[in-house]
Amino acid sequence: MKEDLGRVEIPDEHEARERAWSLVRAAFAEREPVVRPRRRWRPLLAVAAGLSLVGAALSPAGGAVLREVRETIGIERAAPALFSLPTQGRLLVTSDAGAWVVAGDGSKRLLGRYREASWSPFGRFVVAARANELAALEPGGETRWKLSRAGVRFPRWGGTRTDTRIAYLSDGRLHVVAGDGTDDRRLARLARPVAPAWRPGPAHVLAYSRRDGLVRVVDADRGTVLARDRAADAVQLDWVADRRLLRTPDAVRLYDDSGRRVLTRRGRFAAAALAPRAQALALVHLDGAVSTVEVVSRRGRAQRVFTGTGRFGELAWSPDGRWLLVTWPDADQWVFVRVRGQRRIRSASNISAQFESSRFPSISGWCCP
Amino acid sequence: MAAPRSDEFSRVPGASLGEEAGVGRVGAAGSRGRERAWVRGAQAGSVSHLEALFRAYWPGAHRAAYLVVQDAAAAEDIAQEAFLAAVRALDRFDRRRPFGPWLHRIVVNRAIDWARARRLRAEAELPGRLSAPERSTDGEQGLEEALSLLSPEHRAVIVLRYLLEYTPGEIAELLELPRGTVNSRLRRGLDGLKEQL
Repeated sequence: MKEDLGRVEIPDEHEARERAWSLVRAAFAEREPVVRPRRRWRPLLAVAAGLSLVGAALSPAGGAVLREVRETIGIERAAPALFSLPTQGRLLVTSDAGAWVVAGDGSKRLLGRYREASWSPFGRFVVAARANELAALEPGGETRWKLSRAGVRFPRWGGTRTDTRIAYLSDGRLHVVAGDGTDDRRLARLARPVAPAWRPGPAHVLAYSRRDGLVRVVDADRGTVLARDRAADAVQLDWVADRRLLRTPDAVRLYDDSGRRVLTRRGRFAAAALAPRAQALALVHLDGAVSTVEVVSRRGRAQRVFTGTGRFGELAWSPDGRWLLVTWPDADQWVFVRVRGQRRIRSASNISAQFESSRFPSISGWCCP
Repeated sequence: MAAPRSDEFSRVPGASLGEEAGVGRVGAAGSRGRERAWVRGAQAGSVSHLEALFRAYWPGAHRAAYLVVQDAAAAEDIAQEAFLAAVRALDRFDRRRPFGPWLHRIVVNRAIDWARARRLRAEAELPGRLSAPERSTDGEQGLEEALSLLSPEHRAVIVLRYLLEYTPGEIAELLELPRGTVNSRLRRGLDGLKEQL
């Protein structure tokens, strides 16, 4: 029997092993944060009276960052356009013109006039929403299916490669539909306008914000409630690996898979993003006219990686967890900050025009190569 | 199952064990001392020791997951998640305990959960893109198909007993089931397989 069980052919067996090893090794490498001697840190925040400030508080390795910025809003030597992404992956972006996929070489493809979009768990598809329609698309633009529903917002796709669900809001009600567009059903009536978050993996577990002031974690297949957190003013939910994120106007909290709160950061955070394996949390902190991006390790060690005048918008981690995209609407720029390895900055200007938009485009995810 | 290429083990401490272990009980059949050394090394930050653990335990974990869920992508996800959980819990891992049962418990329980959920609802797939991989047409197809007719719970005990070679008592402990339940699942599982083969 053992021999027979051992001979059953597993498709893609050796490739699967190497893929897994590559992920495990990466997770292992990131298990221990790089500890830099404190004495090597120099606060480099440049303040000039009467001038708007752009600076950086960085290690000596980050001195280049300081040279990159000028005393007005934005990075002076930013590329005039997004010529390429600094590392692997594809960006999903929404603008006035619709939803776009940006490839590694900087090429952009307009998927259609959708106002919101997000990646499927492995980046093979995109779910997009317009006023009264939910659609599943190929990243190349081909529509796989559509579903007409009123007031569609916040579509989010979760699950495994073979068994997926999409959660979305329709007229303030939370719906879940299977990945093939079938079996659409209402899961809850009282949803607040906050994007729901799927727990990664095969269990279809979903966190969503309710109008009764609770964030609920539910089994979407059975409808059972697994956890409740009081957060009447939740503005962001996310779930990456074993960490669930809850952001309110004055705090960011992280929970582990058992629902235990493992981190609380208080402050006015404009954005928060968990790294791909939840090994770090990036935050945009607003302090008067200055925005700062800090990265908090799993052990709670915080490190400022980029600072500038005005409001930063959103954050997105590269799939390899090495780069952080910081959007800077006031400067009409995207700034890519390398947060692992040698510190580097790359930036691109004229973002709105490149996405044919009068408003600053929104990042909907930086996904798989 | 094909043996891993020897060059993959050339840089791994305890390489020969990884190669010969393939599927099954590294800790029991091989050297517990060596496994402890791998865990200790990995806890100290050694990638090569972690790799030794991975190479020794991946084949069994992956195959066990596949035989329970019978879906290659899900099996990969489940085994991968189990190893990532192991990495996350590495600092807290008690070296006096064997690594294999701890890992296999995670894998098999997740595989059962996945298979149960799938049973509750037919797969949600985009037509033509996410279909299950085609099965092989060799002699093992019969066993695989026969297994597919068992419940996930029955598949799991068969896999734990005959692939990973745990005793019924150990299986009872791993799955937190009464010993009698394990024995009865084994018996029914084997009867089911015999009927099909």
